[in-house]
Amino acid sequence: MHESADEHAIERILGKNEEMADHNREHFKSLGACAFNLMSAPGAGKTSLLETTFKIAGGKFSSCVIEGDMVGDLDADRIKKVGVPVHQISTGRSCHLDAQMVARLLHAEPLEKADAIFIENVGNLVCPAEFPLGEHRRIVLLSVTEGDDKPIKYPVIFRNCDLVIFTKCDLLEHVDFNISEAIRHIEAINPAVKTMQISAKTGYGVEQWAAWLVSEISEFKQHLKSDKHVHHTAH
Amino acid sequence: MHEAAIAKSILEIVGERLQSLGAHTNAQSVEVLFGEFRNVDPESVSFAFDSMRALFSGCSDCRLSINTVTAAAHCKDNHHQYRPQAENAYRCPTCGSGIGKLLQGEELDVVNVVIEIERPDKEKKQHARVGR
Repeated sequence: MHESADEHAIERILGKNEEMADHNREHFKSLGACAFNLMSAPGAGKTSLLETTFKIAGGKFSSCVIEGDMVGDLDADRIKKVGVPVHQISTGRSCHLDAQMVARLLHAEPLEKADAIFIENVGNLVCPAEFPLGEHRRIVLLSVTEGDDKPIKYPVIFRNCDLVIFTKCDLLEHVDFNISEAIRHIEAINPAVKTMQISAKTGYGVEQWAAWLVSEISEFKQHLKSDKHVHHTAH
Repeated sequence: MHEAAIAKSILEIVGERLQSLGAHTNAQSVEVLFGEFRNVDPESVSFAFDSMRALFSGCSDCRLSINTVTAAAHCKDNHHQYRPQAENAYRCPTCGSGIGKLLQGEELDVVNVVIEIERPDKEKKQHARVGR
């Protein structure tokens, strides 16, 4: 004898990842750190951007880095050399970080107290868009050697981010990358997004990026304070 | 290729619902919605699902039925409703402005699981005896 049951309740397929991301977000908050998820295609310059940021603006806020790579710790070594604490996640065969991997790291290794935690995702414009990690801000890097049509080809990642940074802008005169066209494409998908132009090699735009970070970190800390205030008055 | 992770998550959700109904249950089918503004390829998910389902208790015969949800947006300047598509760079075909609000197309949900419930062993045995 068989009966059958229809289980109609709607459930988000990646709900577990989202719950875990919320957990990580709270963890970062408890450290007083604003977490930034850096996403881009492979080779767009995420690590170079971080190196230059720490060299030029390292004194403006304290940082800690979580490096996500499929294999090896080459990027982590580069970050270590500029004197910033770094934690490595090797994803093995996975093409993106997920919240569970970050949570495992948080339970295994205590993170340094820092104003900013930079999570460098695996280089990929597709999969990382689907897996929030617990970040407070999402940043996408698009190098000018990739082409200004990339926002049309990868709309999901460009829709779900707070800032797009055009990297390798020192090469602009050598490539057919139309910045205003790229910005137009991005704004059609994500009207609230900010954009910035940077060259990690020459330092062009790094001050503006550092100023953005300082302002986001201070806004984040302001929220933390008002959260605590609400918490205290509630009791 | 995060489609394997999506297929696994679907099977985990089915597995949890089977567990909540007790030991003698099998999933017949699971219905999901994929919005077209998500990075998910239905064919790859189906392939991964069929390859993995035998590894999940009670799921070896479970069929996956995927419904794709067309994206719908309000344009940000004139609130026309339209389907954002790559050929128009996701712009409103009427006025050329971009996406204001995405009304649908970001779904990634399990909406229904059909589960077969076997009667407990004791009753089955009774049936068998009556049959003789």
